[in-house]
Order: sequence, then C-alpha cells, then structure tokens
Amino acid sequence: MRIENAVFLIVLLLAAGFFSYNVQRLLSYLSIALPDDRGGHPLVRLKNVITVAFLQKKILRDPVAGPMHALIFWGFCVLTAGTIELLLHGSFPAFSYDFLPTSLYQFYSISQDLFGALVLGAVAFAFYRRLVLHPERLEGDNLEHSDALIILGAIAGLMVTMFGVNAIELALDPESITRAKPLSFALSMPLRGLPIGLLNGAHAVFWWAHALLVLAFLNFLPYSKHLHIVSSIPNVYFSNSQGPGPKGVIRFLDLEAENVEQFGAADVDQMTWKDLLDGYTCTECGRCTSVCPAHLTGKVLSPRKIIIDTRRRLMEKAPLLLGDYSELAHHALVHGEGDEGSTSATAILEHRLLDNFITEEELWQCTTCRACIQECPVGIEHLDHIVDMRRNLVLMESRFPPEVLPTFESMERNGSPWAFRPDDRAKWAEGMDIPTMAELVERGESPEILFWVGCMGSFDDRSKKISVAFARILQAAGVPFAILGQEETCNGDPARRMGNEYLYQTLAKQNIETLTRYDVKTIVTFCPHCFHQIGNEYPQLGGNYEVIHHSTYIERLLEAGRVPFDTDAGKTLTMAYHDSCYLGRYNDVYDAPRETLRRALPIVTMVEPERTRDRGMCCGAGGGRMFMEETQGKRINVERAEQLLATGADMLAVACPFCMTMISDGVKAKDSEVPVFDISEVVASRLRA
Amino acid sequence: MKIAVCIKRVPDMETRFRIAASGTAVDEAGLKYDLSDFDGYAVETALQLNEKQGPGETVVISLGPDVVQEQLRKALSMGAERAVQLKADRVPTDGLSIARALAAELKDGGYDLIFFGRQAVDSANATVGPMVAEMLGLPCATAVSSLDISSGRGTARRDLEGAAEIVDFALPAVVTIDEGMPRARYPSLKGIMAAKKKPLEVRAAQLGDESLTLEKMELPPERAAGRIVGEGPGAVAELVRLLHTEAKVL
Repeated sequence: MRIENAVFLIVLLLAAGFFSYNVQRLLSYLSIALPDDRGGHPLVRLKNVITVAFLQKKILRDPVAGPMHALIFWGFCVLTAGTIELLLHGSFPAFSYDFLPTSLYQFYSISQDLFGALVLGAVAFAFYRRLVLHPERLEGDNLEHSDALIILGAIAGLMVTMFGVNAIELALDPESITRAKPLSFALSMPLRGLPIGLLNGAHAVFWWAHALLVLAFLNFLPYSKHLHIVSSIPNVYFSNSQGPGPKGVIRFLDLEAENVEQFGAADVDQMTWKDLLDGYTCTECGRCTSVCPAHLTGKVLSPRKIIIDTRRRLMEKAPLLLGDYSELAHHALVHGEGDEGSTSATAILEHRLLDNFITEEELWQCTTCRACIQECPVGIEHLDHIVDMRRNLVLMESRFPPEVLPTFESMERNGSPWAFRPDDRAKWAEGMDIPTMAELVERGESPEILFWVGCMGSFDDRSKKISVAFARILQAAGVPFAILGQEETCNGDPARRMGNEYLYQTLAKQNIETLTRYDVKTIVTFCPHCFHQIGNEYPQLGGNYEVIHHSTYIERLLEAGRVPFDTDAGKTLTMAYHDSCYLGRYNDVYDAPRETLRRALPIVTMVEPERTRDRGMCCGAGGGRMFMEETQGKRINVERAEQLLATGADMLAVACPFCMTMISDGVKAKDSEVPVFDISEVVASRLRA
Repeated sequence: MKIAVCIKRVPDMETRFRIAASGTAVDEAGLKYDLSDFDGYAVETALQLNEKQGPGETVVISLGPDVVQEQLRKALSMGAERAVQLKADRVPTDGLSIARALAAELKDGGYDLIFFGRQAVDSANATVGPMVAEMLGLPCATAVSSLDISSGRGTARRDLEGAAEIVDFALPAVVTIDEGMPRARYPSLKGIMAAKKKPLEVRAAQLGDESLTLEKMELPPERAAGRIVGEGPGAVAELVRLLHTEAKVL
C-alpha cells in the first residue's frame, strides 16, 4: 500500500465516522418524539417506495423540474456505483469492477459517462432555473438559497472532476477497458501526448478533488436539506399519504388514556417521530405551498414553512433535551451570548414550536384540502402537523377564532354546526313519504340503504333541494331507503378538523350508537365530509359501515338502467365539474360524478378547469373554514369560481353541499349568472314525471 | 379575591317547549340543558378578575337536584376552583326561598364578591341576587355591563334604556351580571380533565317555606297565519278598515 492510499484510507474512515456520528445524532433526536404505529402492509409501503421514490412519480408531476430532478436522482443511483469503486480503488489500488464480464463492465462504463453528462446538464438547468427563472415556489430565506446553491455546486464539481479523472486515465491509456466511455474518451483526445508527468499530476489533483468532494458532500448532508437523499426513502415508506388504508385519516387520539396530560402538539417533543422525520426529509421544494389554496389567495399559511419550522425547532430543542449543549456553545460562539435572546438554554426551552415559530393564524387558515400532501414527492404529511397543533390550541388552551365558539356550542347542544332546532332536521322531507329508521323498525322492516342527509342537507335551504333531488332519484329507482330524522347528528368532521377531538368523539360515538342500534350496514350520503368521516374515520371508534357517496350510487343506478328518464335529452350545454377535496383527493372518486353527468345528459360537453381531479382547488370550506371568517387576502371561493367560470361552461356541477355554498357565493361575487347544481339535481331534472 | 358565583341550570331556549302533564312545568323529555347565559358571563367575569388580580378563589354554587352538578362541572372546567351543590328535589318557583338557602351558604364564606347572572334565562325573575344582598346586608349592583374592582371598592356601569349609570360601592358586594361582560370561555379538554378532580361539595339546601307557588303554566297562543287582503291600491281601504276594526291599531 502506497502512502497516499494509506492517507486516503484514514481520510475515508474519518469521513465515514463523522457521517455515522451525525446520522446517529439525528436519529437520537427522534427519540424525544411520541410513538406512532407505522408498521404493517410492507408490500403497499414498498410499492410506494418504488413508485414515489425510485420511479419519481410525484416529482414528474412537475413537467419542468420533474425530469430535471429525475435525471439527477437516477444519475445519483447509477453514479454511486462508480463512487464506491473510486473510493475502494483509492484505498486498495488493486480494487476495480473489472472482474465483471467485459460486456457488463462496458455497460457500466457507458452508464457512468452517460449519466455523468445528463446530471451535468440537469444541474446546469437547475442553476439557470434557480438563479435566472426564480420560480416562486423556491423562494425562501438566504439560508435555504445558499444551501441549494452549495448542493448544486457540489454535484457539478463531482461531475467535472469525474470526467477529469476519466479523461486523463484514457489519455494515459487509450486502450484501457474504460474506453467504452464515449464522452470521457472524446475529452481525452486533446490531452494525448501531453507529458506523462503532467498528466499524472493532474490526475492526482482531479482524483483527490473528486474523492474529497464526495466525502465533504456526504458530511454536508446532515446539515442541509440534502439530507433527503437519506431520509426520503424511509419517509415515503412510513408515509400513509398513498395508503395503506384510506387517505387523510386523522390520527386517533385516546382521550381516556391514563396519565396523559397533553393533547395535541405545541412543540416538537409532543409530535410523533414521523412528524419529525418529515422535517428531516423536506427538500424545501415548495410544491406544497405552490398548490395551497390559502397561500394562493394571499394568506400567510405555507405548508412548506410548517415543515421547515418543525425541523428548525427540532434542531434547536432536541440537543438540549438530550443533554447536549455543544450546539448551544457553538451558537454562542458565533452569534455572541444573548443574541436574539435565544442563546441561553432556558430561553430555548421556554420557546416552543407553536407561537414562536408557527402562529395560530397560519394554522387556522388551512382548509385540510390535502393538496400539499398530494403534491409532496417525499411523503410528508403536513396535515398531521397542522391538526395536532390545532388540537393543542383547542383542547389545551381553548384558543380558536371567536366565531368558532357558536359552532362548537351548536354542535354540542343541537348536534349541528348551526343553531337550528334538532326537531326540524327532517322538515325537508315532509310530504315526501320518506320513512325514518324508527318508523321502519316499528313496522318490522329494514331498508336497503340508509340515506345519511347531513347537516347541510337538513338545514341549509340550498342543500335541502339536493336532499329532495337525491330522495326523488331513490324513489324513482325503487330503492327502499330510510333516514334517521331527528336521530341523526353532525358526524363531527368540522370539530375534528378544527382540533376539537373531544367534541368529535362525543358526536361520533353518539352516531355509532344510533347506527348500531338499527344494525345499519350500508349508508349513502351526498356530503363528502360525512362520506369520508363515517366511512374512513369511524372505524377508529368501532363503527364499520359500507359508506357510498351519492355520485357512485347514482352512477350504479344509471348503469343498471334503474333510473327512468324522460326521452327529451335537453339542450346541448357545456358543463364544468368542480372536484370536492374529500371526494377526490381523500377518496379517489373522480370519475363517478363525471360519468353520472354524462349518463344523465348524453349531449353534455364536459370541460375541465385548469386545476382539476387530484389537482383540483379547494372551495375554501374544508377543515372548519366554513365556520371561520376569511379576512386575509382574496377569498378562496372567489378564486375557485373564477377558475371554473374561465372554462366558459354554461353550468357548474358540484358533488358536495359545502362546495355548493362556496362556489355559488363565488359565482355571485363575480356577478355571473352561471347556475351551480349538484349532480343529483341534474339527474333528478330528467326523471320521468 | 374570593368570589362566589351562583349559577342555574336552564333548558336550551331554542327548544320548542311542551307543558308537562302536571300543567305546572315544562316537559323535560328531549330537553338539553346548559348554564344560563348571564351566569356564564358571571363565571367568566369572576375568572378573569382572579386571573388579572392575582391569587384568588372562584367558588360556583348551584341549587337543585344532582343534575346541576353537570353545570357545576362545566364552571369548574372553565377554571373555577371549587363547587357547592345546595341539594333540593327541584328549583322552587319562589325566589325568596332560593335566596334564603343561598344566603345561608354565603353568609360565613368570607366572599369579597358574590356574582349572579342578571336573571335566569328560563324563569326571568331577576330577584334572587338582590334578595341575597338584602339578607346579607351587602350593597347590590344589578344588571352590570362593565366592572372595575380596585382597593376594596367596585365601580360598575349599568346600561339602561337610553342612558347609562355608573355606580360605586364598597366590597363585599353582590353584583348581577348583564351582557357586555365577556362571554363564557369554551372549556378546554385540559380544563374538563382537571375539573373531574376538583372538589364539589353537596349540602342540603335550607329552603324554608315557599311563599309563592306556581299554579299553572301555558304556552303562548299560536300565531294565526297572515292574511292577504288583496293587491294594488284597491286593497288599501279594506286594509285600513281591518287595521281599525279587527287589529285595533289605528
């Protein structure tokens, strides 16, 4: 072993040692977190890793940055093989992959060259994009920018030095097996004939530069957003954002657990390890914020900031909790004692994530539309952070926008978010001959389905027409159904999304008790919030039912030819359908409402707004926003109505009573006469008289 | 400061009431109950006073059967330290009887302030607060919409029809709380959990004889449906005639 090999081996071991120390340090920070069971379903989770991480499914949703990143990532995977060869070769000169069959080795050589060039091209574009194009979603503070530029510079440096090493090796030995590298071979041409001593010297410089850059970069990871190359694969594996199980289900909170005195999260040590891993994994790419309806309408909420703040707070607090004050000493050394009032351990421990990093205002602006989670390429679940902090606000501190108080109180007293009399719940059905479950049971009958009307359908004047329309369809199709009438209460979704888990569980348990008493098996509802809540979240409390959204149910009836239509096909019209978040992104129901419209109106032309299906924009009512004032920025429903009206459609269709209110108001605000209908109303309008 | 707040359990006033078979009470089937609104303001006012002015104790007191413990627990979950139930089979109609029981409880309690809601939203008598003040020989400010307490004295604002009064009094005193004071806070889950461990004492209410009894309760008459007299100027004469002869408003 020559002296430089020995030196390199020592450098290599030191670098590897420091890297593993840092990885261990970051892992130890996760130990301050709460447990979260993310095990089970390994096949689904592996499939997510393959599609989301390795095949870059989500990354490629961005047609510009997508291919750029995919090339760098796939290049990284391919070139890592070369890096390992180079590092081992540097320590043990005899090591090389040339023991492989020649054709395989040549294939390997070509891949290195090819991907080296592709990565270099992609990095050049990335520089151009960041420095010249300035996409809005990459805006951040100086730290975030310098981080990104250092990373791009390092990757470019790695590629340049790799080509340097390869080209010089080929100049020294044009017959080498590595001549299969066409680009390096071309680069080597002008170098041939240079003095061997010079070439050898240059080779050493490039080789050491490359090797040291690899090791420096490796050790830069734990201090930067580039950590995601290590953490994103586990984060995608453990993420529930693509399944297993239904999407968007809020974590169960055991309110009766012994000795639990904290509900929700005000700081990082009250969050789960997955929340903290989200922080490690965030690449600050801003895809989440760029689709956030609150952000797009000029509000302060940025889901990206929520995650970055989680990480920053973790890095500040976790070492202190674990008794490591070195970071603090470092900070004091750099910034001086007492700087920003945060250099003393007490000050840091007195701070918390909520209020000092993330404000109440940001948290209440979220519509829980899941657009951020849908877009995130590394499996971050922003809503877990937001809902957990809302839980702390409501359950621990009783802090929420003042207009929410009557909502909570009404849900408690009247079983609906509005102060309507519970005994008026079935008033919409008067004269329609719709039985209640209680009446059917008395007659010794049981219905095929329970029509879950929901609070909007029971009390909101506009939505009551949807209840009537859907009931008429069921009656025309001869489906035996019943309603709960006064025994129905709010499903609890707004309370749960607003962090009031206590109120939610009270309502949910009451409904489950009622549904169990009547031995209900199948529930159909036209409210996507009721649909998601009862179908996907009631199982946490022991309520298991088949819950079908009316769009799916009507589509099935139409398919089976059970709905008697008038022969008149109506006039030709164009229609734009607005996707409800809780139907679409939460439950992947995109086609049923569209298909229902097409079947009901054979000559309809469906037009799609620019943001549609899993990229559809929220109407602004979700997450309890329906019951809060919207004071900052533009109104979300107006923005969405503009997008829908821009399609030029004659008619807008929705499949959610909350969307109905928001979109109708938005259309009115634009002084437009375009009518808004629920899909069931479109179908009911064609029923044979 | 040591503050007592006397609170009442009342049915949700949004309900459509029915009269019970006895004819002297509302039918309780399906009724939902809560703290009387003004009493909620009173609890909140007491809590905020003690939060602002340093160490103190807020004691909530309610008279009635065991179900009133629900409202006492709610006040405890808002932050009151201690609760007392003056146990009685029912809440008497006679305010004097209630005042007597409350005064007996409050007399030796050493309270700086005794709060009531301006009136209970169900029975709307507004008598118990002033009667208790009388029995204890304390000053009484009623229907107070703003309150300042400093160095042993209170200054309160009373909003009247078209005017306002500012009254000044020495502590201890009885104050009945009107709108304008802060709304009752929403109990946090933390508060609800803590309330389960707070002391709730139960004592028999010393009601004495009732000097007022409820004879009969009836619902207001159903409102008759509106009537369309006619359309256009031709209908005016008939409308005026009906307003004069039938409605007798002209």
